Amino acid sequence: MDSQVLNIRGMTCAACAQRIEKTVRKLSGIEEASVNLASEKLFVEYDENALSLTAIKEAVKKIGYEVEEKANSSVTIPIGGMTCAVCAQRVEKAMKKLDGVTSASVNFASEKATVVYEPQTVRLSAIREAIEKAGYEALEINKEDAADEDRQRKEKEIKILQTKLVVSALFSVPLLYIAMAPMITFVRLPFPEGLDPMGFPLLFALVELLLVAPAIGVGYKFYTVGYKSLWQRSPNMDSLIAIGTTAAVLYSLYNTWLIANGNFGAVDHLYYESAGVIITLILLGKTLEAISKGRTGEAIKKLMGLAPKTAIIIEDGKEKEIPIDEVEIGDIIVVKPGGKIPVDGSVIEGHTAIDESMLTGESMPVNKKAGDPVYTASLNTTGTIRFRAEKIGSDTALAQIIKLVEDAQGSKAPIAQMADIVSGYFVPVVCVIALVAGIGWYIGTGNIELALTIFTAVLVIACPCALGLATPTAIMVGTGKGAENGILIKGGEALETAHKIDTIIFDKTGTITEGKPTVTDVITIEGVEKNQLLQVTASAEKGSEHPLGQAIVRGAEEKSLEMLPMEHFESLTGRGIEAQMDGQTVLAGNRKLMEERNISLSALEAESDRLAEEGKTPMYVALNGKLSGIVAVADVVKQSSRDAIRELHNMGIEVAMITGDNKKTASAIARQVGIDQVLAEVLPQDKSNEVKKLQAQGRKVAMVGDGINDAPALAQADIGIAIGSGTDVAMESADIVLMRSDLMDVPTAILLSKKTIRNIKQNLFWAFGYNVIGIPIAAGVLYLFGGPLLNPIFAAAAMSLSSVSVLTNALRLKRFKATVRKEGGVSA
Amino acid sequence: MKKNSKLIWGILIGVVILASIIFVFLRAAGGSIDVVGTGSTASFEKILTASNDRVRVDEKNVGWSLEAPDGSVRFIWSGDYSKSPLYDIMLEIDEEPFIQAGLDVSKLPEYYNASEGMLTVGVKLTNDKLTHESDSTPLAGYKQIVENDRKTLGYHMALDHYNVSLGNGNMFEWAKDMQENGVTKEKQDKDIVFVLNPEPLIAAGVDPEKVEGWVYTTVNVEMNGKAQDVYKFLKPVDLE
Repeated sequence: MDSQVLNIRGMTCAACAQRIEKTVRKLSGIEEASVNLASEKLFVEYDENALSLTAIKEAVKKIGYEVEEKANSSVTIPIGGMTCAVCAQRVEKAMKKLDGVTSASVNFASEKATVVYEPQTVRLSAIREAIEKAGYEALEINKEDAADEDRQRKEKEIKILQTKLVVSALFSVPLLYIAMAPMITFVRLPFPEGLDPMGFPLLFALVELLLVAPAIGVGYKFYTVGYKSLWQRSPNMDSLIAIGTTAAVLYSLYNTWLIANGNFGAVDHLYYESAGVIITLILLGKTLEAISKGRTGEAIKKLMGLAPKTAIIIEDGKEKEIPIDEVEIGDIIVVKPGGKIPVDGSVIEGHTAIDESMLTGESMPVNKKAGDPVYTASLNTTGTIRFRAEKIGSDTALAQIIKLVEDAQGSKAPIAQMADIVSGYFVPVVCVIALVAGIGWYIGTGNIELALTIFTAVLVIACPCALGLATPTAIMVGTGKGAENGILIKGGEALETAHKIDTIIFDKTGTITEGKPTVTDVITIEGVEKNQLLQVTASAEKGSEHPLGQAIVRGAEEKSLEMLPMEHFESLTGRGIEAQMDGQTVLAGNRKLMEERNISLSALEAESDRLAEEGKTPMYVALNGKLSGIVAVADVVKQSSRDAIRELHNMGIEVAMITGDNKKTASAIARQVGIDQVLAEVLPQDKSNEVKKLQAQGRKVAMVGDGINDAPALAQADIGIAIGSGTDVAMESADIVLMRSDLMDVPTAILLSKKTIRNIKQNLFWAFGYNVIGIPIAAGVLYLFGGPLLNPIFAAAAMSLSSVSVLTNALRLKRFKATVRKEGGVSA
Repeated sequence: MKKNSKLIWGILIGVVILASIIFVFLRAAGGSIDVVGTGSTASFEKILTASNDRVRVDEKNVGWSLEAPDGSVRFIWSGDYSKSPLYDIMLEIDEEPFIQAGLDVSKLPEYYNASEGMLTVGVKLTNDKLTHESDSTPLAGYKQIVENDRKTLGYHMALDHYNVSLGNGNMFEWAKDMQENGVTKEKQDKDIVFVLNPEPLIAAGVDPEKVEGWVYTTVNVEMNGKAQDVYKFLKPVDLE
C-alpha cells in the first residue's frame, strides 16, 4: 500500500469534494480517498501494484479538476560570469545534460537560471556543480526566489479574486442603484432623467444589460464550472449560481425584447441587477473565504518558516555557508550563538544551551554537550558547537512534525461524515426544491415574476460551501493551535474522541514522576553491610534496563563502589532480576518474586511497609535464597503532575495511575498528586487489559505513557497520549503526542479538543441551520402566510455570509490559549 | 502571454455577443432606442385620426387643439414656439364647473391664466422658431415636442398611456393602443385623459367633490420611475 497527498485545484464547494472522493474510490486498487476542502488536498491510500498515481490523477482531471504536480522542484539560481546570450545557452545546455533536470532556462538579462528538476534523481548541488564546470558562477540562491510556491499561488488566487470583485462591484453597484433608486419612495435620490424607466425604457434596459455584462464576464467560471458539473450530472455550488443568475438574465433579456417591441410595462420585470449583485456578493464571499482559508493553515506555515535556509559546514577545515538543501548526512556543522540548528544531529564539540521551545514549547533552554542530540530549528543561545548531521530533509524532527500536523489537518473527523453525506445530495435536492417551488408558485398565482424570484432565491441561498468548510477548517485551526502549544494531534478522529474522554490513566514512572529514580534507603539484616548489599545489587542490576535498576547502579557509582563481575543475568519481567556472581545467587525484585521463591520477608516487613507508605519503592534483595535487605528507590514527582490532575478533576475526568509498583508505594504517590484510583502491581503486558476493563465499563479511556511497555495500552485506549520525552514506539502508538514532558499539556489537549469540537458543532449548526431556515424562506413559505418574500440579492448576501461566518468562527480557535494555571510542583 | 491572449479573446467574444444582442433589440425597436418617443408619435396620430373634427387649428396659440367631446377642455400644442403667446403646450379649461365648486380665480397661482371664462395652464418650452420638414400639421407639431422636448414625454404604465407633462402636475394622456390596455389586457376605455393637479385649485377654494364633469380620484403615477398615489382631476374620454 502506498499513500499520497495530492493538491487539488478547482473545487468550489463540498459537492466538488464529494465528487472527487466518489470518483477516486471507484478506482480499482483504492483503499481510501479523502478530500479536505479547506486545505484543497486529496489523501489517497492505494495498492501501487494495482493502480498508479497517474491513473488517480487522470481520474480527477477527467471530472474537471486540476491536480497540482508536485513531483518536480523548481529553483532559480543567480548566475555570475555570463557575458552574452551564448553564455546563457551554454549554461542551459550544461544543466539539461544532467539526468533529472526536466527543464532549464537561463535569462541572460536577469542573469538567472530557472531549473525544474527531480530531487530524487539529481541534487541541487550537482546542478550548481554543472554550472561551475561550464565556467560560470552559481551564486547564492536568493531566499525570495525560493519562496513558498503554495503561498504565492494562494496570494495570486486572492489577488485575482479581489480584481474580479472590484470589476464586478464597479459595474454592479451603479446597476443596483439604477435599478433600485426609482423604487425608493421615502427619499428622493438623484437619478439621471435620461434613464427614467418610464420615459426611456429601452435605454434603461440596455444600460442595465451593459452594466451586468462585465459582472457576468468576471464571474464566467461560475458558468463554465457550474454547467459542466451539471452536464456531468454532479451539480455543485457554481451550478446553483449559474442556473439562478442565468434564469434572471434570460428573463430580463426576454423583457428587454418586449420593451423593444413596445411593451414598456416589461421594464418593471428586469432582473439584471439581481444577477450582477449576486455575482458580486458571491465573489465577495469567495474572496473573504480565500483570505480566511489561508489563515487556517498558518500554523503549518509558521512551522515551515522555522527552519533556517543555510548551514555553515566545515569543508577542508574551513567554514562554508551552503543552502540547507545541500547539507549531507555526516557533514560537520557549526552553529554559533544566536544561530539556528539547520538539521538534526549530535553534538561532537563544544557545549551550549539550546532553546527548543519552538519544537517542544519548553521555555527553558536545554544544556547540550558532546553526544547530545540537537534538532532542526532550535536556537543556540550561548556557546559555539559543532555537530554531525544525522537527519536531513524530510527525516528531521521538524519535518516529521510538519508531516504529522499536515496529515492531521488533512484527515476527517467522524463528525464530518454527516456533513459529507448531506453535501453529496445537497445540490440536486436544492435544484429540485427550486423547481418545485417555482412551478408551484406559478401554478398557484400565475405570476411568472414571483415564480422566477422564488426559483432564483432558492438556488442562490442554498450554500453547500458552509457545510463543506464547517469541519475541516476547525480541525486545521485546532490541530495547528495544538502544534503551536507542543501538542501534536494525529488526526481528526483523535481530536474528536479526545473531547469524550471521561477517564485518564497515567503511567507512573516517567509520566507522573520524572522517571529518574534515586536510591533513598538501604536497609540490611544483621550481619550484612549496607555498602556490600548495594554493591552486590548494583552489580546484578548492571545488566538491567529498568529505570529502578539503573537508579541502583547510579547509587553505587555515586558511592564509588566497584562493580563485581557478573556470571549470569536474567530479567524477570514484572518481578525483578536474578544474577550469579562471586559464587552467589542474587535475587532483586518485588514481593511477588520473593514469594515465588519462598523467601520469607517477615524480618523486614515493617520497614518495607514504612518505605512504601513514604512513596518509595522497596526492592528486596536475597543472597543465596535468603533475604539480606532492601534497597529503596524513589522517583521525583513532576512539578506539574498535581496541577494537571487537579485540572482534569475539575473537568470532570476520573484519573487513575497504573504501575508495576507495589500498592503501598503506588498509593503514596497517588496521594501526593491527588489520584483517587490506583492500578498497582500491574505487569507491563497487563496494562492494556486494565484499559480494556475500564472500557468494558463504558468508559472513554485515555492512556498517558512514555515507555515501550506502554505502547499496547496506548494503542488499546480510546486515546493514547505519549509524552515527548518517551520512546519512538510510544509516540508511534499514540494518537496525541505531547512534545514536552509537562503533564499540564494533557488537560490542555483535552480542552483544545473540546473547544474544537464545540467549534465544529457551532459551524455545523450555522451551516445546517442557515440552509434549514434560508431555503424555506426563499421558497416563499413566509410569503404564503403574508410574510416577506426573499429578494435573490439578499439570498446571495446571506449565502456569502454563511461561508464567511463559518470560517470566522473557525478562526476564533486561533485565540485558544493553554489557560490552565500552573503552580509549584510536588516532589516525592 | 498565452493567458493574456486568452483574456483578450474572451473579452472580444463577450463584446461581440453583447453587441449582437443590442443590435437585435434595436432592430426590433425599429432602429430607435427611444421607443416611447416613436411609439407615442404613432399612437398620437391614431388619436388625432379618431378625434377627427375635434382637432382644430388654434390661431390664438399658433398651433392646434384637441377638444374633449363636451367642449370643457382642450389640449393645445404650438406649431411655432417663437410665436405662441402664452405657453407652447397647455390645457385650456372651462372655468365654470370650478367656479360652481367654489373657485376664486384671483387665488390661483401665476401659471394659471384666466381669461374669457377659460383657465389656461401649461409650459413655455422655448422661444425657438420651429422648422418643419414638410407641411406644418398637428402631427408634425407633436413630433417637434418629441424631438425638442423629449423629457416632457412619458409613459404611464397603469393606464398603458403616453403622456405629455404640462408642468406643475398637469398632463395630457392618450392610450398607447385604443383597443386594449396592454398591461391589464382589458378593453381600453380611456383613450385620452385630461389631467389636472387639484392642489392649486383646492387652495383657490374649490371643493373637489363638487366639480362637475371631472373625476376627483387618486391615480398611481410614476415620476422618475417612482410610483406614487396622488389625487388628480381627470377627464377621461373613450373615443371609440
